[in-house]
Amino acid sequence: MEKTIKQWLSRMKQQLGNKVRSMEQNGAQETVMLVEKTELPDVCYFLWHEKKGRLFTMVGNDERDIHGFFALYYVFSFDSFRHFITVKTLIDPLDPTFPSVSVQLPAANWYEREVKDLLGLRPQGHPDPRPLILHGDWPEDLHPLRKDFPLDRHAPRVQSRESFMPYDSEDVTEIPVGPIHAGIIEPGHFRFGAVGDTILHLDARLFFTHRGLEKANEGMPLEKALFLAERICGVCALSHSTAFAQAAERLGGVTIPPRAAYLRTLFLELERLYNHIGDVGNICAGFGFAVGVSQGARLKETLQQLNERVAGHRYLRGIIRLGGIRIDITEREKEDIVRTLSYVKKEFQELVDLLFSHDIAMNRMATTGVLSLEHANQLEVVGVAARASGRSVDIRRDQPYAAYDQVSFHVPVYEVGDVLSRVRIRVDEVLESIAIIEQLMHSLPSGDTFTPLPPLPPYRSAMGWCESPRGETVHWLMVGPDQTVYRYRVRSATYSNWPAVPLAVKGNIVPDFPLINKSFELCYACCDR
Amino acid sequence: MFLQIAIVILLAPFIQGVIKKTKARMQNRIGPSIWQPYYDVIKFMKKDAVLSHHSSWLSIVTPYIVFVSIVTAGLFIPTYTVNNDWNFIGDVILVVYLFGVARFFTALTALDAGGSFGGMGSSREMALSAIAEPALLLALFAVCLSSGTMKLSDLVVSLLHNGWDWFTPSYGLAFFAMLIVVIAETGRIPVDNPDTHLELTMVHEGMLLEYSGRYLGLMMWAAQIKQLLLLSLFIHLFFPWGIAASGDASQIILSFLLYVAKLVALSMLLAFIETMYAKIRLFKVPKLLGSSMILSLMAILLRVFE
Repeated sequence: MEKTIKQWLSRMKQQLGNKVRSMEQNGAQETVMLVEKTELPDVCYFLWHEKKGRLFTMVGNDERDIHGFFALYYVFSFDSFRHFITVKTLIDPLDPTFPSVSVQLPAANWYEREVKDLLGLRPQGHPDPRPLILHGDWPEDLHPLRKDFPLDRHAPRVQSRESFMPYDSEDVTEIPVGPIHAGIIEPGHFRFGAVGDTILHLDARLFFTHRGLEKANEGMPLEKALFLAERICGVCALSHSTAFAQAAERLGGVTIPPRAAYLRTLFLELERLYNHIGDVGNICAGFGFAVGVSQGARLKETLQQLNERVAGHRYLRGIIRLGGIRIDITEREKEDIVRTLSYVKKEFQELVDLLFSHDIAMNRMATTGVLSLEHANQLEVVGVAARASGRSVDIRRDQPYAAYDQVSFHVPVYEVGDVLSRVRIRVDEVLESIAIIEQLMHSLPSGDTFTPLPPLPPYRSAMGWCESPRGETVHWLMVGPDQTVYRYRVRSATYSNWPAVPLAVKGNIVPDFPLINKSFELCYACCDR
Repeated sequence: MFLQIAIVILLAPFIQGVIKKTKARMQNRIGPSIWQPYYDVIKFMKKDAVLSHHSSWLSIVTPYIVFVSIVTAGLFIPTYTVNNDWNFIGDVILVVYLFGVARFFTALTALDAGGSFGGMGSSREMALSAIAEPALLLALFAVCLSSGTMKLSDLVVSLLHNGWDWFTPSYGLAFFAMLIVVIAETGRIPVDNPDTHLELTMVHEGMLLEYSGRYLGLMMWAAQIKQLLLLSLFIHLFFPWGIAASGDASQIILSFLLYVAKLVALSMLLAFIETMYAKIRLFKVPKLLGSSMILSLMAILLRVFE
């Protein structure tokens, strides 16, 4: 493997020729290519289109106090080599622009708009230059992620620059929905252009509760930053804390003890279970199937009570520690897990049989909200939504972490991409998760649960990733000289998947939107970090 | 007559409570008490209403128009006795169009404040009622044809005497046609979902989003009364036995108890249907109502050729 990767990299260097200024290793799994900013679109397109790399994350960083430049990192994942290639470019503060990659690589759309909003680096030729993270009433020349922007600065509000898709025809009705909704859900503004009840176009305006967590994290000691990472989102708390801890551990070159790795895997799967089962129940609310809703809620509650008994927290907070895990489980707790899961499995199977034999439910789910494989690939969709559209990505299998290389499991993939496929993926994954936990219970190694972290090298970056219930979540971390966070970038699964929702709802009817939206089950808090 | 109005108005929240409680129990939930709809109505009546700056006088008068027209319709539908002082004024068609007046004003006022959900709700309601109304009329005609009168009290008396033959095909057809219409008109699953919080899927609830306080209370109460009236209609067309034909006090009490028992049983059936089914796609609703119309038509044809 080592050798093939070397050959593959040197061949790539030849193909790119003098477009690449330098190439260096950053840890065992990552190679950083430094390119001129003018070459950025070409090199990225080559890696994405020719070499079939997935755009994994993209980070903009204010490194002016290190070497006087801003830096952009486009990270591509090559799953077959289990390797990452980062395209890095430096941007002169006197000319804070760069050629946009989004034209050729649509998945870069949001990343580049975010860099423009938060760091003031302007992507030139970007197809959609509207503000994204900061809304239109934020002053255009204030960029909060720059290091010279003080944390306590209060920004004045200005005349809003928000705009939505204009419609010329009188036949198109604009239906604004939100940001405040009738149910207790997070804020998002949806503007439908509909002809009758058929959706022509959807504008989704998100990021209403941007919290500036990445900025707040800068200058924080790592233990405290872990605490904050855990609070990015309520329902994927453990995925976020694990991803953060892995980034720090990779930076320090630490391998966590096997028992800690197994326990992390166990809790990550418990997180997936309560999410997936709750989601299957919630999807039933989209077509008013109340029995499904209440049974899903009941099983989710059973699992959350198990979480509380075993881990001390219903949402599995506070169990990850840098270099390992904070808690251990006893034999009695193992029995409790096995017993509860066999009960849940039986009950869940009943719910699934009921749902899949219900004619109206099946009719509502099938052919609704189809996301095509082509769109899923172009937007680099991840998680359940990707696998339901025939895109086989699962970071647990593709770039294993924790103890996922020690257990065998199957990654379900469906081709159709409708609501029903997304439900089927969740159902299959619930059974896989239970099987994974059974394997872990049989082979749980004994020993320590924690390796202390050495001092981390300053100004080097590392990534941690995790397959959250919604898909892969990537945390990119750079530590400063005083062992505090220098730059922290969270790319959640939701961030990758939101741009796909407007494509999936096109051509469906307005009353089906809640159902389609629920089947993606995107979380606002993961975006509004 | 006043007794009739009092019963219709006061019994309606109870039936709503029974339906909600039954649904909750069938879904593994405990659910609110069956008296909850009364508490809700009392609560709303105590509250001040907030009106949108963009709304006109329509928003203020509509709740009263809707409430009054539905209560008026209640005068023509027999509840616990066939004797009714208002017989000479109106028949089945008047009842249907009193409901129509209420629906018209509800849909019109939903557009008043300019909210997007109101507009969506009223456009859907009108599109559906264009089919639901003839379906209701046809189902009623199918029954009326047997006794040759459109007056509900005469109709019930004639049904009492001649009775339905349980095994007549036209009976069964009319029964199912009417059941579908009752479900559609009360805004229940699989046509509409009364419990949803998803604005985009709402039909009847969407039109009520702009109301608050006592106006909302009146609109909800009116909807509950309409539900009670439709159920009463259904009961007396298909299960008229036991209704008091004379003014004898003991007979009236017995008839009243029987009436309430039949209402409770029917509301449990509705709750059962609502739990077993899920909401169908909006564009399939016309097909469902269309099948109700076909059933009624077939019932009518069978009657004619018998």
